[in-house]
Amino acid sequence: MTTDLVDESSVVEEKYPATVGSHVYLSKHASVREDRRFVAGEGRYVGDIEPPGTVHVAIVTSPHPHAVIRSIELDEALDLPGVITVLTGDELAADTEPLRQYLDVPEVQWRPLAVGATRYAGEWVAAVVAESRALAEDGAELVMVDYEPLPHVIDPEWAVDPEAPLVHPAHGSNIMTERSFAWGDVEGNRKRATASATVRSRWNRNSTVPLETFGVIAEWDQHRDLLDVWASIQMPQFPEQVAASLRIPSNQVRVHFDVDVGGSYGVKRGIKHGVLVGYLARRLRVPVKFIEDRTENMNGGDFHGPDRVFEVEIAYTETGEFTHIRIDVLDDEGAYPGRSPLQLAKPIGAIVGPYRISSAEYNARAVTTNKTGQVAVRGFGQAPTNYAIEAAVDAVARDLDMDRLELRRKNFIPPEEFPYRIPSGTEYDSGEYAAVLDNAIETADLEALLRERDSIRASGKLAGIGVASCLEPGGGNAIFENLMNPRNDKTTFPEACRIRVDGTGAVTAIISISSAGQSHETMVATLVGEELGVDPDTVAVVRADSLSGFPSQSPVGSRMAIVLGRAIHAAADLIKTKLRTIGAHQLGCSFEQTEYCRTSVVDSNDPDRRIAWDELVAIAHRKQHKMPPGMEPGLEVVHVAHTPRSGTLAAPDGTVQLYPCYSFEVHLVLAEIDPGTGKVDLTKYAISHDCGTVINPDVVRGMVYGGTAHGIGVALYEQFAFNRDGQPLSGSFMDYLLPTAHEVPDIVESEHCTPSPLTSHGQKGVGEAGYMGAAAAVAGAINDALVAAGGRPVQSLPIKPSDIWSALRPTSSSREDRS
Amino acid sequence: MKPVDFTLHQPTSLEEALALLADHADTAKVLAGGQSLVPLLNFRLARPEHLIDLGRIRALKAIRRDEHRLSIGAMATHTSAGRSNAVLGSAPLIHRAVPHIAHQAIRTRGTIGGSVAHADPAAELPAVMLALDATIVAVSHSGTREIAAKDFFVGNLITTLQEDELLSEIRIVPSTGRTGAAFLEVGRRRGDFALVGAGTQLRLADDGVVKDIKICLTGVSGRPHRAEEAEAALQGKPVTQELLDTAAESVRDSVDPSDDLHATADYRRDVAGTLVARAIRAASDDAHRVTKGECT
Repeated sequence: MTTDLVDESSVVEEKYPATVGSHVYLSKHASVREDRRFVAGEGRYVGDIEPPGTVHVAIVTSPHPHAVIRSIELDEALDLPGVITVLTGDELAADTEPLRQYLDVPEVQWRPLAVGATRYAGEWVAAVVAESRALAEDGAELVMVDYEPLPHVIDPEWAVDPEAPLVHPAHGSNIMTERSFAWGDVEGNRKRATASATVRSRWNRNSTVPLETFGVIAEWDQHRDLLDVWASIQMPQFPEQVAASLRIPSNQVRVHFDVDVGGSYGVKRGIKHGVLVGYLARRLRVPVKFIEDRTENMNGGDFHGPDRVFEVEIAYTETGEFTHIRIDVLDDEGAYPGRSPLQLAKPIGAIVGPYRISSAEYNARAVTTNKTGQVAVRGFGQAPTNYAIEAAVDAVARDLDMDRLELRRKNFIPPEEFPYRIPSGTEYDSGEYAAVLDNAIETADLEALLRERDSIRASGKLAGIGVASCLEPGGGNAIFENLMNPRNDKTTFPEACRIRVDGTGAVTAIISISSAGQSHETMVATLVGEELGVDPDTVAVVRADSLSGFPSQSPVGSRMAIVLGRAIHAAADLIKTKLRTIGAHQLGCSFEQTEYCRTSVVDSNDPDRRIAWDELVAIAHRKQHKMPPGMEPGLEVVHVAHTPRSGTLAAPDGTVQLYPCYSFEVHLVLAEIDPGTGKVDLTKYAISHDCGTVINPDVVRGMVYGGTAHGIGVALYEQFAFNRDGQPLSGSFMDYLLPTAHEVPDIVESEHCTPSPLTSHGQKGVGEAGYMGAAAAVAGAINDALVAAGGRPVQSLPIKPSDIWSALRPTSSSREDRS
Repeated sequence: MKPVDFTLHQPTSLEEALALLADHADTAKVLAGGQSLVPLLNFRLARPEHLIDLGRIRALKAIRRDEHRLSIGAMATHTSAGRSNAVLGSAPLIHRAVPHIAHQAIRTRGTIGGSVAHADPAAELPAVMLALDATIVAVSHSGTREIAAKDFFVGNLITTLQEDELLSEIRIVPSTGRTGAAFLEVGRRRGDFALVGAGTQLRLADDGVVKDIKICLTGVSGRPHRAEEAEAALQGKPVTQELLDTAAESVRDSVDPSDDLHATADYRRDVAGTLVARAIRAASDDAHRVTKGECT
């Protein structure tokens, strides 16, 4: 029975008991097992893998934002000693399928190397393969491409203009998709309002910028028909998409997940890299390695994040009750949309934020421009939306002259209304928003914070307090694919775990994904330990490759804590069931009369009668004569779990259950600003956070800290900018400014726990924590300071010193107007 | 991001270095810490065939002072200059500027001579040397030249150093009396090239009036900038708010900054004046502290 895949119907959501406080290993401080190897410099990354005979790739990139490729001259490069081959887009296209588009845009062909035309500066035009990376770069300089420049478009608001140059003329428009939704009693709720506040805001292009750029190495074994791939990936369906593009069966692609990934938070997709290197490895019959350098990564790695223009309107009554919200958003996908426009759909599952608003309108447009492609970034579109909503909430508070915390508190969904169905059809699982706000007020010592703000102001500087109260939807299936393109009819996004108890009783958990620093090994060991009652430190966690593993969709949207957590729970249940069956047989009682109690099986009528772990394991593996008749030997289980609340397509009006679990966070931050220079100093930072049951407190704390640092980067520093000529301006860390230890203040954090009823132990997602609210909070603090000093709020991120300087001066134009 | 192939030379004496430079003048670059040159090599913006590393020439690392002259060897690191009492005592502006140079790791490797020869108008030391009327000593196989700083910096990353010359030493006339200094910057992050930087060194005469004032700015034009009109506004007068405002305005009138991703020209122009006024005030306070014998 045990090695079969188990029918999900054996797991029902209501079955999870409320177990807060009764855990043995969960929520306890315990070492994070991955940290040791990273701190010791003993991680094993793609860059560390190099089979004998490996050759290296460098890329010839387009210097033009938009140009026809007239011809490519390769001879000089091919003549250079050490250069093995040069691959052009035409050659690659002849032997491969285009990369996958998730929108229904058949005329928009996305390929690893440009074919016929280039559509952004930095786009890959040819790949040079040589004996070393340095020689490949020498060869790339010798590839002569004759371009005929075409008009280009960089500004997404111009891209929608019918007069704008077309990025993909065959598609006939720069608009890739346009969806409009209205849910609830829009007219009635607008009537009930006495006023509304509208804020235009700009979330400029940034990303999660990993320390490790994308890397991939592929080796084709022609005698086994097997393409081995090691890649720095966090990508659902990477193996099957590489196979599809290479026109080989997916069981001929073996992706190894036991490599460390040096940062991702969504961006390590690398599908074009994988196809290019896989193709070269098959053609050249030698291992081929491509590690992007920072310039290739930043200008042409297709890993930029959301690039959005928002208009958010909140209608409200004179007492400050929100009645309706409208969000218009224009998202600049760059040249090839791929998966990125789906990020417009995730926010539909949290379209009203934590607020009790019974109607909503959402108008979303995705456009192409002559920029490198966008990809999934931490939160999949939620953080920008949270920022835009919170900016509008602050505007309502200003209009009403009402305290921003009280306005939020007044509109929070109260705890007794959960599960709460928002107008777009999603139910929030649980939440105690006012309690988290109270926690934040206490953690920040709000009274003291206000005194400090006022004393800074009295000293002649500017100071402001920022507030953000934001949701983090977690654990979703991929139903946003269906929302943005009805032809995508995927309704589950499974995750799996194998648990093995070997003949000595040692426990191994096997997962089939790579991790990018999210501490999955710690998480899996802790959950398996908790379920089976064994010390997590003794549980081995290993990673199967894509052929020997099982369905897994990669860690996106905190799916590991939620969906993998579910799989672990069900797999452990099956192990326990088998152990109880053996135990019952030994004790001569019925199965129902037994209990599994911390590794032993006990007769519940006489707890002194028990069969201990070692004996149970020995029977299962070696003593058929003691097994119940017909039992399969061994203790080995795989469970494949659905996402919670999945299984339904979106209704025609777009209502759907998007994500199952909703974490929540409140930020309070004090910003001090030098009025002469516009320089911002974040002097106090407090967060109260609720992700349900905490699995490992140090991992959660790390996530909240890192996500907050990331959000501070978005608010103040990070931008992938382009000039009018379409040239990228942020091609290195000189200009793409990541916040460092100097810029990120001490963060005081407190945890609140509202368990989710939908997960094995009440856990929710934390992979996007901190990032959900930090940009909104920091911008809010600056705007509080600016408005108090008679300036205008700045509604465009990142907020630079010169923006603040401008906002304080009446003559210069405001970025809010220009956005 | 791999450099074009080059030959690395690591001479142990100045003579050896000069001979190598004479042999390869038009295809060589001198490596003096590498904190700017190595990235330029990796970006392939610099493509020398020969790289002559001065790191093993001990004589170039010395910092010396006598009554008439502070001498800083080209290969003295930022850190060693920042810690030097000779520098603090005779050119406190250098001492104040050093902590603003990038980050500690870069200050440990980067050198005074390397920064001055690189002549980045956004960097601290070229502007400081201009304000201090430093003398740049250039040597080649055929002899030694002394170049006044005002004649040394020509443009963005351009100096009057010849292909076969290397910068061996920087000489500064030591300050005297109640001298104070300050260096202020605004950057988007700490350690970045500043959007604008301003440094001031001044001496307070017995009657409290300003003497020997030197004001420099970074990031406000295509080359290191000295604010001579602002200096003139303060020279021989006591520091007052009115004069500070005058100095700030004259700076705003005299600079020619540009727009870039990180700040507008208007912003840089205004903040340049603001920082100069603050720097003069801070340098004056520093000079007062010297009088009181407080440790700086």
